[in-house]
Amino acid sequence: MHELIFVALAIPLITAVLSLLPLRLPLGALNISSGLAVAAVILRLIWQVATQGRIHTGLFLVDELSVVPLLVVALLTVSSTLFSLSYMRRELEDGHITEKALARYYALLQVFVFTMIGALVAENLGILWVMIEATTLASALLVASSFNRSSLEAAWKYVMVCTVGICMALLGTILLYYAQVSAGEGKEALSWLALTGAAARLDPDMTKLSFVFILIGYGTKAGLAPMHTWLPDAHSQAPSPVSGLLSGALLPCAFYAIMRNMAVVQHSLGPNFAETLLLTFGLLSIALSTPFILLQHDLKRLLAYSSVENMGLIAVGLGIGTPLATTGALLHILYHALTKSALFYLAGTITQEYRTKQLMRIRGLISSAPLLGGLFFVGLLAITGMPPFGIFTSKFLIIQAVVDDGRPLLAGLYLLLLGAVFAGMIYYAMGICFGAAPKKPINSPSASASLAIGLSICIVLAAGFYLPPWLGSVLTLAAALVTGG
Amino acid sequence: MQILTILLLALAAVQTRVTSLRTAIYVLLVQSVLVAGACLVVALETRELHTYIAALLTAVIKAGVIPFALFRLSGRLKREKEQHPILGPNAASLSACVAIFFAYSLIDHALPGVVSRDALAAAITLVFIGLLLMMTRHQAILQTVGLITMENGIYLVGLSVTQGLPLIIEMGIFLDVLVAVLVLVILTYRLKLSFASTDTSVLEELKG
Repeated sequence: MHELIFVALAIPLITAVLSLLPLRLPLGALNISSGLAVAAVILRLIWQVATQGRIHTGLFLVDELSVVPLLVVALLTVSSTLFSLSYMRRELEDGHITEKALARYYALLQVFVFTMIGALVAENLGILWVMIEATTLASALLVASSFNRSSLEAAWKYVMVCTVGICMALLGTILLYYAQVSAGEGKEALSWLALTGAAARLDPDMTKLSFVFILIGYGTKAGLAPMHTWLPDAHSQAPSPVSGLLSGALLPCAFYAIMRNMAVVQHSLGPNFAETLLLTFGLLSIALSTPFILLQHDLKRLLAYSSVENMGLIAVGLGIGTPLATTGALLHILYHALTKSALFYLAGTITQEYRTKQLMRIRGLISSAPLLGGLFFVGLLAITGMPPFGIFTSKFLIIQAVVDDGRPLLAGLYLLLLGAVFAGMIYYAMGICFGAAPKKPINSPSASASLAIGLSICIVLAAGFYLPPWLGSVLTLAAALVTGG
Repeated sequence: MQILTILLLALAAVQTRVTSLRTAIYVLLVQSVLVAGACLVVALETRELHTYIAALLTAVIKAGVIPFALFRLSGRLKREKEQHPILGPNAASLSACVAIFFAYSLIDHALPGVVSRDALAAAITLVFIGLLLMMTRHQAILQTVGLITMENGIYLVGLSVTQGLPLIIEMGIFLDVLVAVLVLVILTYRLKLSFASTDTSVLEELKG
């Protein structure tokens, strides 16, 4: 079974090379089929884990905790390659990029997918760090891909802030290794299984210090406030298919790194230490992103700040740390990824049609392009957590867990902030979807783009009514892994 | 090891006074050679093959490839130098002294009685000074130099507390550092094309 892990890693790399070779291949179709192949392999791996339990071989480990982020990467690889087809064709027509840059774009996209999968199947915490840093480097040039002034600025800040952050995580990882060596367990350096096994013997003070660094480091990558300053820039300046991947798939990968390390810490120190830290960062993220959502002028930045807010909610779920809260956080990772990526694809289509990202200048979407406007309105409703969408379920679970944990005041505060965000989002949605239609006609999205967007929204909608039993049991086991139960 | 530590600390203090790009890269080159030397000392003590390989990689990548790439880039950036650093040379050197003092007190507080106290203090100081350079310099290349300095510091921390990480992780880290510099060189080159300057204080469009 573990050969499949190699296949999942090999396909994106081979596609990247093929994209760069001067063979005059149909790049869009090649990358879509590659995306579908990767997704099929990953789904097979997930099914194996759900039915037979974890897959562990040497350097690789795929267990219940890897399932949700892997599922996200599989689904978003398909949707982003699908959406890239029409989006990049349009960019080419508008003269924003050249043919050569298109080949580079696809190659980098595949390398980016490779690094994310690599992070999610690594058993060793050191290798995990290497892969997470590699995701920054692969996506940095994607952020800068149009090489205009603002995208250069975004990419520069992205590399600088995230690399400094991730260096802190490396420092933390080295300190964790030091704790492992001091406990006489140095033979299997930074192996996650060895660490969780030996967690009780680790020096508590050193483990605490290491986790602080690790959380600041990976928290930077996960867009937690106050280290989130790079995120709105990078996520709004990247080409829209990449924005979807960055917000939907890369943030969960960073959270996955936090959860892996958290599992060790929980075994070593008991629950309270890591959870208090996560709760604090989570609250900060929700509180700091809310004003920027309420006073926003740029469509893609609005969505990026909404990502910060949602990552804050996930951190709160992990910070409460009961099985219910952790399950809610994992579900929220999945639903947020699908909804937010669909919204970024929609935003990309809208900005290409209206030739502006300014919220005030996008008006009358529903009357000029009913499908586009309808999908966008539904997407915004979904992201704010309206029933019957899946996000409502995951948000509700997290809030309920906060109340069950005996923190009704905290729950009230969250509801207040979430309500404010809802009001802001609906205000923008009304402005964009209704009002006077623009004079020039607005094209409907292409078939491939509609498929990518529609599929994501349909899954989130279906999830509001039905959660497959196998996924439910996987989530329960994953929550047990994180909370050290 | 003592001599290397003293040299590293002295060099870190020098680093805070540099405003010309080429000098900064030279200082970084010497610093990386010293780090490779420290790695070699540990290798001779432990007699482990992977530490020898790590020393060699440090020399080739951090004292070879990276400075070479930065020199090539700075050759195209005539007349670029740090115009208005946030901290002047004297203030920056003072902060370097504070960093050294702080590093020692941090170690004595968190790890009393650790074997390689001085090497560890030098390592933590390098991390601080790398951060300081990144935060107080506007020139793209100087920020990159700060990043490598910080990375060198973290590498030394690993070397002094655990004799280095397993080889496969080390290799991954080296590869990441190499690619990071590559990406930053590409971006710096593009900055020069788009803004006619590599002073990152011009990057202030994205707000709110």
